[in-house]
Amino acid sequence: MSATNTIVMPGERIAAIEELAKSKRVILGPGLRRLDDTVVASKAGPLRHKEPGTFWVDNYQRRYIPARGDLILGIVRAKSGDMYRVDIGAADTASISYLAFEAATKKNRPDLIPGDLIYARVLNASADIEPELVCVNSVGKRGKLGVLTEGFFFKCSLNLGRMLLRENCPVLAALTREMPYEIAVGVNGRIWVKAHSLKETVALANAISALEQSGCAEIDKICGNLGDFLQT
Amino acid sequence: MFMNSNLFEPGKSKPERSFVQLAVKQNQRLDGRRSNESRDVELTFGTDWGSVAVSMGDTKVMAQVTCEMGPPALSRPNEGKLHLNVLLGGVAFLDEAYSTHDQRSLKLNSLLERTFRSSKSIDLESLCVAAEKHVWCIRVNVNVINHDGNLYDASSIATLAALMHFRRPDVSYKDGELCIFKQNEREFMPLLFHHYPVSVTYCVYKSSGQPILDPTLLEENAADSVIVLSFNSYQELCSLTAGGTAPTNAPTVMQCARNAAARCKSLLDFVRKALALDEECRSQGDRSVDGLVGLILNTEHKLSYNKLMGIQKQRQQQQLPPGENIELDNESSETPVANEEPSSEEGAGAPMDTSDWLPPDEDSQELPMRSEASPSKAGKHKTNKKTRPRKQNHSDSEEEARQYI
Repeated sequence: MSATNTIVMPGERIAAIEELAKSKRVILGPGLRRLDDTVVASKAGPLRHKEPGTFWVDNYQRRYIPARGDLILGIVRAKSGDMYRVDIGAADTASISYLAFEAATKKNRPDLIPGDLIYARVLNASADIEPELVCVNSVGKRGKLGVLTEGFFFKCSLNLGRMLLRENCPVLAALTREMPYEIAVGVNGRIWVKAHSLKETVALANAISALEQSGCAEIDKICGNLGDFLQT
Repeated sequence: MFMNSNLFEPGKSKPERSFVQLAVKQNQRLDGRRSNESRDVELTFGTDWGSVAVSMGDTKVMAQVTCEMGPPALSRPNEGKLHLNVLLGGVAFLDEAYSTHDQRSLKLNSLLERTFRSSKSIDLESLCVAAEKHVWCIRVNVNVINHDGNLYDASSIATLAALMHFRRPDVSYKDGELCIFKQNEREFMPLLFHHYPVSVTYCVYKSSGQPILDPTLLEENAADSVIVLSFNSYQELCSLTAGGTAPTNAPTVMQCARNAAARCKSLLDFVRKALALDEECRSQGDRSVDGLVGLILNTEHKLSYNKLMGIQKQRQQQQLPPGENIELDNESSETPVANEEPSSEEGAGAPMDTSDWLPPDEDSQELPMRSEASPSKAGKHKTNKKTRPRKQNHSDSEEEARQYI
């Protein structure tokens, strides 16, 4: 991924991509839109580019827009029929079927109650119908999905969530050197953390929230503070 | 700007709730405060009379007082009117903020009504110009700008400060003719008060006997019960709301009440000092008043509780509380400032140990009458398990008021 310094605004025509599209195949990511022969930005932010031909706008956003395949954290709101309604922070509540859990059958229903936190994958998402979630993979195993118990749960911007999940992101590795912990990052800007003690969990949550302002660059300083704090 | 402005209300999931319970049990709070410590309160006065914004941490509330001439109510022909109106619609992330019968705004409204109207804090008779014909109608619009817990205190401080800050035009009434003077003809007049009530909020959890002061939204949503007490500067109880399911006993409520009475008094002193400073600012001319722009300006001369009341950051020399160290990473965010709950018995700054929360020796206390009243209060609360307001109407003379207490 290369971070160009170009900032695009909504409605702005991006000629560079149009040029490139003449010679090779180009993939337009979030925040870019094709109108006939032109490429137009639909969000404001820095334009990103990944070889060979993927472009997207990395805009600052808090409202989650569901997309197929996203891993998200949601709170169970209610039971309705053979579905649970789950709040995932999008404009609409999502639904998850009773049968979308490991080893669930019509007789053997999962035991979820309103208020439970689940880590799930978006099965389908469209602008016109409500998003549907699953807690199993294609072979019916739960993997790391499912209900999260204990720990602490907080929210952040979507950008921070995406940043933590990036392959080359140094943050989680640096934090691991300070203490052992479990973390579940949803791309809907919600993070669940669990460490050995309450103090460690609070410290971890605060450290991750602090990244929102400082960015990846200051991770060493934050980890240093964290280490000092845990020793007191 | 605000972290929780994304259709997300903290404290609605089970992990959060059990985590807060656990934290309270271990006598810790997520933002590093102690259980009897509140956030700093900041007042910002608008350029108009009677417009005030209050912020406590991320909770921001604005109150605007307006007045108009109108006919009195038929049942009270020689009294002015006081309307209190709470608007919660500005906080989009709250669940059900837009439903018509939102419990939250109804609760807030009724708390303010009981605190200011039922306790007769304003001299309504002084607002009467001609009996049965013309009285002043005072309207307080409380606008919640952001909700991060403890709306009760923020809006009651905002309402009190706005009412105290407000000036109404002078009027004359001669031969059935009403004349309202403009500011350049006659000086505007402040409202008359009988007493000055403010509320203080505590959260009680099942996992711990110790109530915590000034909850954040996460703590408030995770709480088993919320106790809101309003006191005036004479330390008389104006309203008490104790709902929820946590088993609160009489000593706990009494302890809350004692601390709340002291805190209300110092909050009122703070509002008075802030008003005096604002007055001074205004007397220097219009140019020197920032108005509500001060909310977003990062000026040094902010009217904050800790600064005006001279509460030093004593705890910085002491051991750092959990969480605060981490907060310091985040340079752009405001760090929580030490704010001891002032306690008349112990003196400000003294740490409160758990023995305080044990049942006090009721006979030896200097407030015997209030001690008698408390078991009945608590008893009622236990049987009903519902919001049980105890109203107290104060008359002008202190002796009459004492009978109720």
